[in-house]
Amino acid sequence: MAEAKPEKLLVDGRRLDGRRPDELRPLRIKAGILKRADGSAYIELGKNKILAAVYGPKEMHPRHLQQADVAVLRCRYNMAPFSVEERKRPGPDRRSMEISKVIREALEPVLFLHLYPRAVIDVFIEILQADAGTRTAGITAASVALADAGVPMRDLVAGISVGKVDGTVVLDLMKEEDQWGEADMPVAVMPRRKCITLLQMDGNFTPQEFRQALDLAFKGVEQIYEAQKEALKEKYLPSLEEGR
Amino acid sequence: MEEIRTGSFVVPGTFLSTVEEFLPGEGAYEEGGKVYSSCAGLVLVDLRTRKISVIPKSFPPVLKRGDIVLGEVEDVTPQKAEVTIESLRGSEGRQLPPPKLGVIHVSRVSKGYVKDLERKFRVGDIVRAKVGEVGREMVQLSTTEDDLGVILAKCFNCNTPLKVENSKMGKLRCPICKRVEFRKLASDYGRGEPWGE
Repeated sequence: MAEAKPEKLLVDGRRLDGRRPDELRPLRIKAGILKRADGSAYIELGKNKILAAVYGPKEMHPRHLQQADVAVLRCRYNMAPFSVEERKRPGPDRRSMEISKVIREALEPVLFLHLYPRAVIDVFIEILQADAGTRTAGITAASVALADAGVPMRDLVAGISVGKVDGTVVLDLMKEEDQWGEADMPVAVMPRRKCITLLQMDGNFTPQEFRQALDLAFKGVEQIYEAQKEALKEKYLPSLEEGR
Repeated sequence: MEEIRTGSFVVPGTFLSTVEEFLPGEGAYEEGGKVYSSCAGLVLVDLRTRKISVIPKSFPPVLKRGDIVLGEVEDVTPQKAEVTIESLRGSEGRQLPPPKLGVIHVSRVSKGYVKDLERKFRVGDIVRAKVGEVGREMVQLSTTEDDLGVILAKCFNCNTPLKVENSKMGKLRCPICKRVEFRKLASDYGRGEPWGE
Protein backbone atom coordinates (compact mmCIF):
# COMPACT_ATOMS: atom_id res chain seq x y z
CA MET A 1 0.00 0.00 0.00
CA ALA A 2 2.44 2.61 -1.21
CA GLU A 3 -0.06 5.37 -1.88
CA ALA A 4 -0.85 7.78 0.94
CA LYS A 5 -4.38 8.58 1.99
CA PRO A 6 -5.85 11.30 -0.18
CA GLU A 7 -6.80 14.53 1.65
CA LYS A 8 -10.46 14.09 0.83
CA LEU A 9 -12.39 11.25 -0.74
CA LEU A 10 -15.34 13.45 -1.58
CA VAL A 11 -14.93 16.90 -3.15
CA ASP A 12 -18.02 19.01 -3.99
CA GLY A 13 -20.20 15.90 -3.98
CA ARG A 14 -17.90 14.14 -6.44
CA ARG A 15 -15.81 11.10 -5.65
CA LEU A 16 -12.19 10.42 -6.63
CA ASP A 17 -13.22 9.03 -10.01
CA GLY A 18 -15.83 11.74 -10.58
CA ARG A 19 -18.87 9.70 -9.61
CA ARG A 20 -21.77 10.99 -7.55
CA PRO A 21 -22.40 9.21 -4.20
CA ASP A 22 -25.27 7.17 -5.72
CA GLU A 23 -23.52 6.15 -8.93
CA LEU A 24 -22.22 2.72 -9.91
CA ARG A 25 -18.93 2.16 -11.67
CA PRO A 26 -19.19 1.20 -15.35
CA LEU A 27 -20.74 -2.26 -15.44
CA ARG A 28 -20.52 -4.91 -18.13
CA ILE A 29 -21.76 -8.50 -17.89
CA LYS A 30 -21.43 -11.22 -20.50
CA ALA A 31 -23.03 -14.66 -20.22
CA GLY A 32 -21.79 -17.95 -21.64
CA ILE A 33 -18.17 -17.13 -22.44
CA LEU A 34 -16.55 -20.41 -21.40
CA LYS A 35 -17.01 -23.22 -23.91
CA ARG A 36 -16.43 -26.19 -21.62
CA ALA A 37 -18.45 -24.96 -18.62
CA ASP A 38 -22.17 -25.76 -18.32
CA GLY A 39 -22.77 -22.10 -17.55
CA SER A 40 -20.47 -19.11 -17.28
CA ALA A 41 -20.36 -15.34 -16.97
CA TYR A 42 -17.82 -12.53 -17.01
CA ILE A 43 -18.31 -9.27 -15.16
CA GLU A 44 -16.46 -5.98 -15.21
CA LEU A 45 -17.38 -3.48 -12.54
CA GLY A 46 -14.98 -0.58 -12.74
CA LYS A 47 -11.55 -2.16 -12.43
CA ASN A 48 -12.94 -5.47 -11.15
CA LYS A 49 -12.67 -8.32 -13.62
CA ILE A 50 -14.30 -11.57 -12.56
CA LEU A 51 -15.05 -14.91 -14.23
CA ALA A 52 -17.72 -17.27 -12.92
CA ALA A 53 -18.25 -20.86 -14.07
CA VAL A 54 -20.93 -23.41 -13.18
CA TYR A 55 -20.63 -27.19 -13.58
CA GLY A 56 -23.51 -29.55 -12.90
CA PRO A 57 -25.80 -30.66 -11.44
CA LYS A 58 -23.67 -33.81 -11.62
CA GLU A 59 -23.07 -36.83 -9.44
CA MET A 60 -21.32 -35.95 -6.17
CA HIS A 61 -17.94 -37.54 -5.58
CA PRO A 62 -16.84 -38.58 -2.98
CA ARG A 63 -20.07 -40.42 -2.19
CA HIS A 64 -20.06 -39.64 1.54
CA LEU A 65 -20.61 -35.95 0.75
CA GLN A 66 -23.85 -36.72 -1.11
CA GLN A 67 -27.10 -35.56 0.43
CA ALA A 68 -29.83 -38.16 -0.08
CA ASP A 69 -32.61 -35.60 -0.56
CA VAL A 70 -30.99 -32.45 -2.01
CA ALA A 71 -28.16 -31.30 -4.22
CA VAL A 72 -25.08 -29.75 -2.64
CA LEU A 73 -23.89 -26.33 -3.74
CA ARG A 74 -20.14 -25.87 -3.70
CA CYS A 75 -18.61 -22.43 -4.20
CA ARG A 76 -15.00 -21.46 -4.63
CA TYR A 77 -13.98 -17.83 -4.53
CA ASN A 78 -10.38 -17.48 -5.63
CA MET A 79 -8.16 -14.49 -6.25
CA ALA A 80 -5.52 -14.75 -8.93
CA PRO A 81 -2.01 -13.93 -7.65
CA PHE A 82 -1.91 -10.99 -10.08
CA SER A 83 -5.35 -9.64 -9.17
CA VAL A 84 -4.04 -7.15 -6.61
CA GLU A 85 -1.14 -4.72 -6.62
CA GLU A 86 1.04 -6.67 -4.23
CA ARG A 87 1.26 -10.30 -5.41
CA LYS A 88 -1.18 -12.45 -3.47
CA ARG A 89 0.05 -15.83 -2.35
CA PRO A 90 -1.94 -18.29 -4.48
CA GLY A 91 -4.36 -20.77 -2.99
CA PRO A 92 -7.18 -20.63 -0.46
CA ASP A 93 -6.69 -18.57 2.67
CA ARG A 94 -8.83 -17.53 5.62
CA ARG A 95 -10.40 -14.63 3.73
CA SER A 96 -11.25 -16.50 0.53
CA MET A 97 -12.66 -19.48 2.42
CA GLU A 98 -14.96 -17.23 4.39
CA ILE A 99 -16.05 -15.42 1.24
CA SER A 100 -16.71 -18.77 -0.47
CA LYS A 101 -18.99 -19.68 2.41
CA VAL A 102 -20.97 -16.44 2.40
CA ILE A 103 -21.32 -16.60 -1.39
CA ARG A 104 -22.66 -20.14 -1.12
CA GLU A 105 -25.18 -18.99 1.47
CA ALA A 106 -26.13 -16.03 -0.73
CA LEU A 107 -26.86 -18.27 -3.73
CA GLU A 108 -28.45 -21.29 -1.99
CA PRO A 109 -31.86 -19.68 -1.32
CA VAL A 110 -32.58 -19.14 -5.03
CA LEU A 111 -31.82 -22.68 -6.18
CA PHE A 112 -34.28 -25.58 -6.27
CA LEU A 113 -31.75 -27.97 -4.77
CA HIS A 114 -34.31 -30.66 -3.91
CA LEU A 115 -34.77 -31.37 -7.65
CA TYR A 116 -31.34 -33.02 -7.84
CA PRO A 117 -30.82 -35.38 -4.90
CA ARG A 118 -27.28 -36.80 -4.52
CA ALA A 119 -25.95 -34.27 -7.03
CA VAL A 120 -23.53 -31.38 -6.71
CA ILE A 121 -23.49 -27.98 -8.37
CA ASP A 122 -20.03 -26.44 -8.57
CA VAL A 123 -19.60 -22.67 -8.80
CA PHE A 124 -16.15 -21.23 -9.40
CA ILE A 125 -15.52 -17.51 -9.02
CA GLU A 126 -12.14 -16.35 -10.22
CA ILE A 127 -11.03 -12.81 -9.44
CA LEU A 128 -8.74 -11.74 -12.27
CA GLN A 129 -8.47 -8.13 -11.17
CA ALA A 130 -9.70 -6.75 -7.87
CA ASP A 131 -10.76 -3.23 -6.92
CA ALA A 132 -13.12 -3.59 -3.92
CA GLY A 133 -16.53 -5.19 -4.00
CA THR A 134 -15.35 -8.48 -5.52
CA ARG A 135 -17.59 -10.70 -3.43
CA THR A 136 -20.76 -8.90 -4.50
CA ALA A 137 -19.65 -8.71 -8.14
CA GLY A 138 -18.78 -12.41 -7.85
CA ILE A 139 -22.30 -13.20 -6.65
CA THR A 140 -23.76 -11.16 -9.52
CA ALA A 141 -21.66 -13.09 -12.05
CA ALA A 142 -22.30 -16.47 -10.42
CA SER A 143 -26.05 -15.97 -10.57
CA VAL A 144 -25.85 -15.17 -14.31
CA ALA A 145 -23.69 -18.26 -14.79
CA LEU A 146 -26.23 -20.41 -12.94
CA ALA A 147 -29.05 -19.07 -15.11
CA ASP A 148 -26.87 -19.69 -18.18
CA ALA A 149 -26.45 -23.32 -17.07
CA GLY A 150 -30.24 -23.62 -16.92
CA VAL A 151 -30.26 -24.59 -13.25
CA PRO A 152 -33.80 -23.99 -11.94
CA MET A 153 -33.85 -20.80 -9.85
CA ARG A 154 -36.47 -18.80 -7.97
CA ASP A 155 -34.85 -15.49 -8.89
CA LEU A 156 -31.49 -14.05 -9.83
CA VAL A 157 -29.16 -12.64 -7.17
CA ALA A 158 -27.51 -9.26 -7.55
CA GLY A 159 -24.92 -7.88 -5.17
CA ILE A 160 -23.44 -4.46 -4.50
CA SER A 161 -21.51 -2.78 -1.74
CA VAL A 162 -22.44 0.44 0.02
CA GLY A 163 -20.33 2.38 2.46
CA LYS A 164 -19.50 5.65 4.11
CA VAL A 165 -16.72 8.00 3.08
CA ASP A 166 -16.14 11.42 4.61
CA GLY A 167 -19.44 11.02 6.46
CA THR A 168 -21.49 10.48 3.30
CA VAL A 169 -23.25 7.22 2.37
CA VAL A 170 -22.01 6.12 -1.06
CA LEU A 171 -22.80 3.29 -3.47
CA ASP A 172 -20.29 0.82 -4.92
CA LEU A 173 -17.02 1.56 -3.13
CA MET A 174 -13.78 1.58 -5.09
CA LYS A 175 -10.46 0.52 -3.62
CA GLU A 176 -9.45 3.88 -2.14
CA GLU A 177 -12.87 4.37 -0.55
CA ASP A 178 -12.83 0.84 0.85
CA GLN A 179 -9.39 1.45 2.31
CA TRP A 180 -9.82 4.94 3.76
CA GLY A 181 -13.60 5.10 4.20
CA GLU A 182 -15.44 4.69 7.48
CA ALA A 183 -17.73 1.79 6.55
CA ASP A 184 -18.23 -0.89 3.92
CA MET A 185 -21.36 -3.04 3.65
CA PRO A 186 -21.75 -5.67 0.93
CA VAL A 187 -25.38 -6.54 0.20
CA ALA A 188 -26.80 -9.28 -2.05
CA VAL A 189 -30.49 -9.23 -2.95
CA MET A 190 -32.99 -11.27 -4.94
CA PRO A 191 -34.14 -8.38 -7.13
CA ARG A 192 -37.71 -9.53 -7.81
CA ARG A 193 -38.60 -10.67 -4.31
CA LYS A 194 -36.57 -8.02 -2.48
CA CYS A 195 -35.05 -10.62 -0.18
CA ILE A 196 -31.58 -10.00 1.22
CA THR A 197 -29.33 -13.06 0.93
CA LEU A 198 -26.06 -11.49 2.07
CA LEU A 199 -25.41 -8.63 4.43
CA GLN A 200 -22.04 -7.95 5.99
CA MET A 201 -20.67 -4.80 7.55
CA ASP A 202 -17.22 -3.49 8.26
CA GLY A 203 -17.07 -0.16 10.09
CA ASN A 204 -19.81 1.88 11.69
CA PHE A 205 -23.16 3.22 10.55
CA THR A 206 -25.73 5.03 12.63
CA PRO A 207 -29.20 3.43 12.36
CA GLN A 208 -30.29 6.24 10.01
CA GLU A 209 -27.20 5.82 7.85
CA PHE A 210 -27.82 2.08 7.76
CA ARG A 211 -31.36 2.62 6.42
CA GLN A 212 -30.06 5.10 3.88
CA ALA A 213 -27.30 2.70 2.83
CA LEU A 214 -29.72 -0.19 2.43
CA ASP A 215 -32.05 1.94 0.29
CA LEU A 216 -29.09 2.93 -1.85
CA ALA A 217 -28.06 -0.73 -2.18
CA PHE A 218 -31.55 -1.66 -3.40
CA LYS A 219 -31.36 1.11 -5.99
CA GLY A 220 -27.98 -0.14 -7.18
CA VAL A 221 -29.21 -3.73 -7.31
CA GLU A 222 -32.01 -2.65 -9.65
CA GLN A 223 -29.44 -1.36 -12.16
CA ILE A 224 -27.34 -4.51 -11.83
CA TYR A 225 -30.44 -6.66 -12.35
CA GLU A 226 -31.11 -4.86 -15.65
CA ALA A 227 -27.54 -5.61 -16.76
CA GLN A 228 -27.94 -9.27 -15.77
CA LYS A 229 -31.15 -9.56 -17.80
CA GLU A 230 -29.46 -7.88 -20.76
CA ALA A 231 -26.51 -10.29 -20.55
CA LEU A 232 -28.77 -13.34 -20.55
CA LYS A 233 -30.86 -11.93 -23.38
CA GLU A 234 -27.76 -11.26 -25.46
CA LYS A 235 -26.74 -14.89 -25.07
CA TYR A 236 -30.18 -15.98 -26.29
CA LEU A 237 -30.38 -13.51 -29.16
CA PRO A 238 -29.06 -15.87 -31.88
CA SER A 239 -31.67 -18.46 -30.94
CA LEU A 240 -34.34 -15.75 -30.81
CA GLU A 241 -33.66 -14.90 -34.44
CA GLU A 242 -33.63 -18.56 -35.50
CA GLY A 243 -37.12 -18.98 -34.08
CA ARG A 244 -38.64 -16.36 -36.40
CA MET B 1 -44.44 -4.10 -17.45
CA GLU B 2 -44.14 -5.91 -20.73
CA GLU B 3 -46.90 -8.35 -21.58
CA ILE B 4 -45.95 -12.03 -21.34
CA ARG B 5 -46.85 -14.14 -24.36
CA THR B 6 -45.37 -16.96 -26.42
CA GLY B 7 -41.89 -15.95 -27.53
CA SER B 8 -41.22 -13.40 -24.78
CA PHE B 9 -37.77 -13.61 -23.24
CA VAL B 10 -37.78 -14.02 -19.46
CA VAL B 11 -35.19 -14.57 -16.72
CA PRO B 12 -35.55 -16.55 -13.46
CA GLY B 13 -38.03 -14.91 -11.11
CA THR B 14 -40.05 -13.09 -13.79
CA PHE B 15 -43.76 -13.07 -13.02
CA LEU B 16 -45.62 -14.99 -15.75
CA SER B 17 -49.27 -15.27 -14.69
CA THR B 18 -51.53 -16.17 -11.82
CA VAL B 19 -52.40 -19.83 -11.19
CA GLU B 20 -56.03 -19.06 -12.08
CA GLU B 21 -54.87 -18.26 -15.63
CA PHE B 22 -52.16 -20.86 -16.20
CA LEU B 23 -50.51 -23.75 -14.41
CA PRO B 24 -46.71 -23.86 -14.26
CA GLY B 25 -45.18 -26.14 -16.90
CA GLU B 26 -41.50 -26.89 -17.52
CA GLY B 27 -39.21 -24.06 -16.47
CA ALA B 28 -41.82 -22.39 -14.28
CA TYR B 29 -42.90 -22.65 -10.65
CA GLU B 30 -45.82 -21.55 -8.52
CA GLU B 31 -45.63 -19.62 -5.29
CA GLY B 32 -48.36 -17.82 -3.41
CA GLY B 33 -50.86 -18.22 -6.23
CA LYS B 34 -48.50 -16.79 -8.83
CA VAL B 35 -46.47 -18.45 -11.56
CA TYR B 36 -42.86 -17.37 -12.06
CA SER B 37 -40.13 -18.41 -14.47
CA SER B 38 -37.41 -20.64 -13.05
CA CYS B 39 -34.98 -20.31 -15.97
CA ALA B 40 -33.84 -17.91 -18.66
CA GLY B 41 -35.52 -18.58 -21.99
CA LEU B 42 -38.56 -18.14 -24.16
CA VAL B 43 -42.12 -18.38 -22.89
CA LEU B 44 -44.48 -20.96 -24.36
CA VAL B 45 -48.16 -20.49 -23.57
CA ASP B 46 -50.25 -23.62 -24.14
CA LEU B 47 -53.90 -22.60 -24.29
CA ARG B 48 -55.09 -26.20 -24.70
CA THR B 49 -53.60 -27.54 -21.47
CA ARG B 50 -53.62 -24.07 -19.80
CA LYS B 51 -49.92 -24.36 -19.03
CA ILE B 52 -47.22 -21.73 -19.22
CA SER B 53 -43.64 -22.96 -19.65
CA VAL B 54 -40.22 -21.49 -20.31
CA ILE B 55 -37.83 -23.11 -22.78
CA PRO B 56 -34.17 -22.51 -21.90
CA LYS B 57 -31.26 -22.85 -24.30
CA SER B 58 -29.42 -25.38 -22.18
CA PHE B 59 -30.63 -27.18 -19.08
CA PRO B 60 -29.50 -30.07 -16.88
CA PRO B 61 -30.32 -33.39 -18.58
CA VAL B 62 -33.26 -35.36 -17.20
CA LEU B 63 -33.94 -38.97 -18.19
CA LYS B 64 -37.42 -39.71 -19.53
CA ARG B 65 -39.09 -42.83 -20.89
CA GLY B 66 -38.06 -43.37 -24.49
CA ASP B 67 -34.73 -41.50 -24.31
CA ILE B 68 -31.65 -43.10 -25.83
CA VAL B 69 -28.60 -43.32 -23.55
CA LEU B 70 -25.04 -44.61 -23.61
CA GLY B 71 -23.45 -46.48 -20.73
CA GLU B 72 -20.81 -48.90 -19.61
CA VAL B 73 -21.67 -52.37 -18.28
CA GLU B 74 -20.55 -52.64 -14.66
CA ASP B 75 -21.90 -56.02 -13.60
CA VAL B 76 -23.71 -58.98 -15.18
CA THR B 77 -25.79 -61.47 -13.18
CA PRO B 78 -28.09 -64.23 -14.53
CA GLN B 79 -31.11 -61.88 -14.20
CA LYS B 80 -29.79 -58.45 -15.10
CA ALA B 81 -26.95 -56.35 -16.39
CA GLU B 82 -26.07 -53.15 -14.52
CA VAL B 83 -25.01 -50.18 -16.60
CA THR B 84 -23.61 -46.80 -15.54
CA ILE B 85 -25.40 -44.26 -17.72
CA GLU B 86 -22.89 -41.72 -18.98
CA SER B 87 -24.59 -39.78 -21.75
CA LEU B 88 -28.06 -38.83 -22.96
CA ARG B 89 -28.81 -38.26 -26.62
CA GLY B 90 -29.55 -34.58 -27.13
CA SER B 91 -27.42 -33.34 -24.20
CA GLU B 92 -24.07 -34.93 -24.94
CA GLY B 93 -22.07 -32.01 -23.59
CA ARG B 94 -23.40 -32.25 -20.05
CA GLN B 95 -22.86 -34.63 -17.19
CA LEU B 96 -25.90 -36.46 -15.86
CA PRO B 97 -27.21 -35.92 -12.35
CA PRO B 98 -28.19 -39.10 -10.43
CA PRO B 99 -29.80 -41.63 -10.87
CA LYS B 100 -27.08 -42.96 -13.18
CA LEU B 101 -27.57 -46.67 -12.47
CA GLY B 102 -29.32 -48.41 -15.36
CA VAL B 103 -30.60 -51.97 -15.17
CA ILE B 104 -31.30 -54.21 -18.18
CA HIS B 105 -33.42 -57.17 -17.16
CA VAL B 106 -32.97 -60.44 -19.15
CA SER B 107 -36.51 -60.06 -20.47
CA ARG B 108 -35.62 -56.71 -22.04
CA VAL B 109 -32.32 -57.63 -23.66
CA SER B 110 -33.55 -58.89 -27.03
CA LYS B 111 -36.74 -60.01 -28.72
CA GLY B 112 -36.21 -63.75 -28.23
CA TYR B 113 -35.54 -65.88 -25.15
CA VAL B 114 -32.19 -65.24 -23.45
CA LYS B 115 -30.67 -68.32 -21.82
CA ASP B 116 -27.35 -66.88 -20.72
CA LEU B 117 -26.91 -63.14 -20.14
CA GLU B 118 -23.12 -63.52 -20.22
CA ARG B 119 -23.52 -64.28 -23.94
CA LYS B 120 -25.25 -60.88 -24.38
CA PHE B 121 -23.25 -58.48 -22.21
CA ARG B 122 -19.88 -58.48 -20.50
CA VAL B 123 -18.38 -56.05 -17.98
CA GLY B 124 -16.77 -53.12 -19.80
CA ASP B 125 -19.04 -53.17 -22.86
CA ILE B 126 -20.34 -49.86 -24.17
CA VAL B 127 -24.10 -50.12 -24.60
CA ARG B 128 -26.73 -48.01 -26.33
CA ALA B 129 -30.13 -48.49 -24.66
CA LYS B 130 -33.62 -47.04 -24.37
CA VAL B 131 -34.93 -45.66 -21.08
CA GLY B 132 -37.96 -47.34 -19.53
CA GLU B 133 -39.18 -46.61 -16.02
CA VAL B 134 -37.18 -43.94 -14.17
CA GLY B 135 -36.97 -44.52 -10.43
CA ARG B 136 -35.33 -42.62 -7.59
CA GLU B 137 -32.39 -45.02 -7.32
CA MET B 138 -32.21 -46.61 -10.77
CA VAL B 139 -33.46 -46.55 -14.32
CA GLN B 140 -34.86 -49.50 -16.27
CA LEU B 141 -33.26 -49.89 -19.69
CA SER B 142 -34.02 -52.06 -22.69
CA THR B 143 -32.08 -53.11 -25.79
CA THR B 144 -34.75 -55.09 -27.66
CA GLU B 145 -34.61 -52.97 -30.81
CA ASP B 146 -32.12 -53.73 -33.59
CA ASP B 147 -30.23 -50.44 -33.32
CA LEU B 148 -29.76 -50.91 -29.56
CA GLY B 149 -27.25 -53.08 -27.75
CA VAL B 150 -23.49 -53.28 -27.50
CA ILE B 151 -21.68 -50.78 -29.71
CA LEU B 152 -18.16 -51.61 -28.52
CA ALA B 153 -16.82 -54.75 -26.81
CA LYS B 154 -13.29 -55.72 -25.94
CA CYS B 155 -11.66 -59.13 -25.87
CA PHE B 156 -11.79 -60.91 -22.49
CA ASN B 157 -8.21 -62.10 -22.97
CA CYS B 158 -6.27 -59.28 -24.57
CA ASN B 159 -8.60 -56.22 -24.33
CA THR B 160 -8.52 -55.63 -28.10
CA PRO B 161 -11.72 -54.23 -29.66
CA LEU B 162 -13.62 -57.18 -31.13
CA LYS B 163 -14.61 -57.46 -34.81
CA VAL B 164 -17.97 -58.71 -36.06
CA GLU B 165 -17.91 -62.24 -37.44
CA ASN B 166 -21.64 -62.86 -37.76
CA SER B 167 -23.92 -59.98 -36.82
CA LYS B 168 -27.10 -62.10 -36.89
CA MET B 169 -25.77 -64.50 -34.26
CA GLY B 170 -23.99 -61.70 -32.41
CA LYS B 171 -20.69 -63.46 -32.97
CA LEU B 172 -17.47 -61.47 -32.46
CA ARG B 173 -13.85 -62.42 -32.98
CA CYS B 174 -10.68 -60.94 -31.56
CA PRO B 175 -8.34 -59.87 -34.36
CA ILE B 176 -5.26 -60.65 -32.23
CA CYS B 177 -5.92 -63.83 -30.25
CA LYS B 178 -8.81 -65.17 -32.41
CA ARG B 179 -11.03 -65.65 -29.35
CA VAL B 180 -14.77 -65.88 -30.15
CA GLU B 181 -17.35 -64.05 -28.02
CA PHE B 182 -21.11 -63.37 -28.25
CA ARG B 183 -23.06 -60.16 -27.58
CA LYS B 184 -26.44 -58.49 -28.13
CA LEU B 185 -25.08 -56.27 -30.88
CA ALA B 186 -26.45 -52.98 -32.07
CA SER B 187 -26.90 -53.06 -35.85
CA ASP B 188 -24.03 -50.59 -36.30
CA TYR B 189 -21.55 -52.29 -33.94
CA GLY B 190 -17.99 -51.07 -34.28
CA ARG B 191 -18.68 -48.15 -36.59
CA GLY B 192 -17.79 -45.62 -33.92
CA GLU B 193 -21.08 -43.74 -34.21
CA PRO B 194 -22.25 -43.28 -30.62
CA TRP B 195 -25.88 -42.60 -31.56
CA GLY B 196 -26.13 -44.64 -34.78
CA GLU B 197 -27.07 -43.04 -38.07
